[in-house]
Amino acid sequence: MNLKQSDKATRRAFAERMTEYGDLDKEFVVFEADIGKSTYSYLFADKFPERYFNLGIAELNTVGAAAGMALGGRTVVACSYGVFITMRALEAVRSFICYPNLNVKFLSSHGGVTAAIDGVTHQATEDIAFMTTLPNMKVLVPADTQAARACFDLALATPGPVFVRLMRDPYYELYGEAENFSIGGSRVIRSGGDLTIVTYGDILFQALEAAEELAGEGISAEVIDMYSLKPFDQEGLLASIRKTGALLVAENHQRRNGLGYELSNFCLKNYPLPFENIGLNDTFAESGHYPDIIEAYGISREHIGRAARELLSRKQAGDRHD
Amino acid sequence: MDNKDNSSRITGLKASAREVREQIIEMIYRAQSGHPGGSLSVADIMTALYFDLAKIDPANPDWPQRDRIILSKGHACPAWYACLALRGYFPMEELSTLRRYKSILQGHPTAAKTPGLDATTGSLGMGMSMAVGAALEGRLTGSAYTVYLILGDGELNEGVVWEAAAAAHKYRLDNLVAVVDYNGLQLDGFTDEVMPMEPLGAKFKAFNWKVYSIDGHDMAEIVETLEQARDYQGKPVCIIADTVKGKGISYMENECGWHGRAPDRRQYQQALKEIRSAV
Repeated sequence: MNLKQSDKATRRAFAERMTEYGDLDKEFVVFEADIGKSTYSYLFADKFPERYFNLGIAELNTVGAAAGMALGGRTVVACSYGVFITMRALEAVRSFICYPNLNVKFLSSHGGVTAAIDGVTHQATEDIAFMTTLPNMKVLVPADTQAARACFDLALATPGPVFVRLMRDPYYELYGEAENFSIGGSRVIRSGGDLTIVTYGDILFQALEAAEELAGEGISAEVIDMYSLKPFDQEGLLASIRKTGALLVAENHQRRNGLGYELSNFCLKNYPLPFENIGLNDTFAESGHYPDIIEAYGISREHIGRAARELLSRKQAGDRHD
Repeated sequence: MDNKDNSSRITGLKASAREVREQIIEMIYRAQSGHPGGSLSVADIMTALYFDLAKIDPANPDWPQRDRIILSKGHACPAWYACLALRGYFPMEELSTLRRYKSILQGHPTAAKTPGLDATTGSLGMGMSMAVGAALEGRLTGSAYTVYLILGDGELNEGVVWEAAAAAHKYRLDNLVAVVDYNGLQLDGFTDEVMPMEPLGAKFKAFNWKVYSIDGHDMAEIVETLEQARDYQGKPVCIIADTVKGKGISYMENECGWHGRAPDRRQYQQALKEIRSAV
């Protein structure tokens, strides 16, 4: 794969854009729960101290106070790790931000096992399930720094709550500056005709590597970056699977109730086809280096490649029930 | 204000509180559902705010400079709805739709549905966090509004209340006035048995709040203390208001069984009679 190695994690790119944006939009404020040096929200604090509120190691109160600040319409960006926003403060996100449809945007770092080295208490492997289930919430997962910057702009421009899952570590740079991102959009990163691989975030790069290997075997995989998980690009998905006739969803999340569950439901109703879904298989991960953890828990390029080959043989065997 | 004016002011507020209580009973009786005990204990405090202290404009519920009133113990919303209707935020007839399908008066308060509600509440403890956020917003915009927060005593069990109490001190939120409706009962029993929170005043003092203790049914004391609290500078203020759960209805007073139960016809008639004959 000829992608450039990145030296910047999406959490940092997002916070840098937030800090630049502070000059463009003088109204929004930032709430932090004492991990500003990790979410990089401190960059905003340094420049706009009067618009930055560090509520301490108290995520529930941080989310509740963000709701209070947003009651009159003001936009608040609330920053923490995914596990804390989506699980410790879940009910407050639901009842006091999503239900009143307030303009609170979540900078949610350490998505999936991208915090592999930190262990399970810091790995948000159920965040997508919780956030996509909440009415009014939109969910975005940028794969690289340009996408992260674009997702900040999208989050601020979109009324109501928006959850942006970010990653702890840098991977690759994929997008150029002029790329167009939208709520409900997706991007075909690699075209192919034999099967469609839908993914998001860090696993996009695993999928692209897998697709490269598959190409060497004569298998042509289409790879889609579904960076907008909710709403997702139904038309884009349909266009791809009508062409390829097989769908593999790979994600850094519990398989249960992740994007794969959503897309399999959609396909069953609209376009039944051979389908496979890889993610954490009803298990917690553990500490370790990222490549070891994604390999051990079934979401690395090897697993994507294997799943793709099996899926393709099912497709070729006529595994379609219509 | 001279004594005579103040005396008629208090007399008027007491009459309003009786109307609020009457509407609480009417509403819960008609819905055959709701929380009378905690609505009645907080009725005098809510009346003092809506009929006297708070800077509000019922014709303009979203007036940016208005004082914010957040009833964190959202289950006591019949008291909130009664105050709003009596002050003209919406027609009185709406009160008979409490908890019904398509009503603007949800089982627990929903700001987007009810004119005049400043926050959605009902999940206990969270009103305190939102009040902190609303007070920060007031400061950021340079608005002179006060955020009045009414807390139940039971919800002080929630840890987030104390996270928010620390934050209110950090930001020296003297535009925040919290009133604890200290009726001593929560759903399962007496607060000091379910989860003892005493010494309560000392807890708030230790969090660097200014603390007052009052009789939460003495209208003159409520009004006088709320004025002092509103004008107090440099610290957030907590008023611990001793109240009686079910206040004003003899058979409901201090009975935790009346936390979330509607009266039957006979009980309803007796309740109205007692409220109307109260001095």
